Amino acid sequence: MSEIKIVIVEDERPARDLLRTYLEEFPDIKVIGEYDNGFDGLKAINELLPDAILLDVQMPKLTGFEMLEVLEHQPEVIFTTAYDQYAIRAFERNAVDYLLKPFSRDRFRSAISKLQGRMESKPDEGEKESSIDRIRQHLAQSDEKLHRVVIKKSGKIHVISTGDINFLEAQDDYVMIYTDEGKFLKQQTMKYFEQHLDPEQFVRVHRSYIANITRIERIEPYEKSNYILILKDGNKVPVSRSGMQVLKENLDF
Amino acid sequence: MSHPITGNRRAVLIYSFVWLLISATQGVLYHFILQFPLSVVVTDALISSFLFGFLGLLAWYPTRYIPFQKHSPFYSILAHVVAGLLVLGAWVLLSVAILNASFSMQDKYIEFLNNSIAWRAMLGSLVYLVLVLVYYLVTNSQKLQERAQQEERLKSLVREAELSMLKSQINPHFLFNSLNSIASLTMSNPDEARDMIIRLSDFLRYSLKHRENEFVPLKEELGHMKDYLAIEKVRFGDKLLYEFEIGAECENFPVPTMIFQPLFENAIRHSVYESTEPVTIRFSCTPDKGYMKTTISNDYDPQVPTRKGTGLGLQNVRQRIQLGYKEKASMQWTGEGGVFMVTILFPRIFT
Repeated sequence: MSEIKIVIVEDERPARDLLRTYLEEFPDIKVIGEYDNGFDGLKAINELLPDAILLDVQMPKLTGFEMLEVLEHQPEVIFTTAYDQYAIRAFERNAVDYLLKPFSRDRFRSAISKLQGRMESKPDEGEKESSIDRIRQHLAQSDEKLHRVVIKKSGKIHVISTGDINFLEAQDDYVMIYTDEGKFLKQQTMKYFEQHLDPEQFVRVHRSYIANITRIERIEPYEKSNYILILKDGNKVPVSRSGMQVLKENLDF
Repeated sequence: MSHPITGNRRAVLIYSFVWLLISATQGVLYHFILQFPLSVVVTDALISSFLFGFLGLLAWYPTRYIPFQKHSPFYSILAHVVAGLLVLGAWVLLSVAILNASFSMQDKYIEFLNNSIAWRAMLGSLVYLVLVLVYYLVTNSQKLQERAQQEERLKSLVREAELSMLKSQINPHFLFNSLNSIASLTMSNPDEARDMIIRLSDFLRYSLKHRENEFVPLKEELGHMKDYLAIEKVRFGDKLLYEFEIGAECENFPVPTMIFQPLFENAIRHSVYESTEPVTIRFSCTPDKGYMKTTISNDYDPQVPTRKGTGLGLQNVRQRIQLGYKEKASMQWTGEGGVFMVTILFPRIFT
């Protein structure tokens, strides 16, 4: 049996101790790194290229979910979490397993044997990649509202609070996010942002634009029956006729 | 409560129709039995009815503003009699004066008119009585409706309060992660695991008292908060530091149970949960004039975009304080310079 390299990303020391103790009985598994936050975990995983990660969800700086969103290397994932939410149960088929804290040694063994099964069946690279992609798709479908967006830009990870977003612009398969600190490209659909941003604050004003209504300076007529938004940062955002309707309802005029 | 007739188009139509009917009856009687000319008959009927119709609308106000439920029956009846006499007097005087002036040539009619004042007044009081009764019926049914709505509102408020009460209790995330830490300690350090189970049990038992909404000396409440912090410290180690500074006068000062728990939880959630560096949570209590001033503060990184759950715990505590102390206590929070601080002023004397 070939060796399985594992990275643990978990912010609580006793929880890490527990995982390591449980892992002692598996000689084919080698822990090559332990990290107490998503940022360090992300960097290490992209460098160490482990076969699998034991991943907590709630962590400082970057949650487990946010980390998966921007991961380049795509290992197998076992979630360890205290949450029992639909969003996490939905991963069951795509993640190797999810362990609800606290979990027994037997429960942990069954998760590891699933992992060993996956490693032995040796799926080709393409198929393995799609398991994390499927987790990402599940994340996109969950109805939890977005509070921050994680973006990778020239090797750096940016965590943007949704309140800091001025507007979003569709660009093919990507969305350009405009903030006072600059613009950031994110591989995601407009529909996703329309559904997950706070509808009290963000309005789809145009097929290709979502605007933060708290950043509107004024609304001006633009050509025949169209309008254009002038934002506080000076940017201009076109408004379609149906977008104007939604704006009227939201701003009450 | 708006006027039941003028406030409703259908009621205005019905009311006008009833008065037209009365005018018509009066006209038929005058014309065919008393043989007065048509012009006189129509004018009398319309002026009497129109005036009474208008003055009758005013009878609503004594019904509205002198309800039987609030005053003695004697007082209410007196008010209605006075109002009724005013309305009737105005009606009889005005209508008779106008008709007298309009038909001064018709001697026979004028004589009849002046003789009819007494029975006009009698008929008028009957109609007035009927109107007042109708008004009472309307007010009562409106009041019943309003009361039902109010009860519904109250019920939903109570439900909401209960729900937020439950929400403000122990966070399951805290509980399951603590149990996970204990599971880990049973292998590496059984003594500490036992201590942690005992602390957790003490804390949970205390939190159940929360429902009874009783008061405890501050030092007792803080003792349990220290249990809570000690449990979190097992999870987070040296990342979580805390300091208590309590004036001697504060120790036995009574506070509502679990009032500080959501604030400590909040402090931990926004500092320790989001930080990789050590953070300190500070609690202090000092007498301040007529108040006991308590503060809880924590370092936080203003650069880290906040996640969900912001403010709910704070709102819960504020609500409890407002309900419990009315206007006598106050609570405020600030988040300047990377330190978040919640200040509560409890009145030193409160019954």
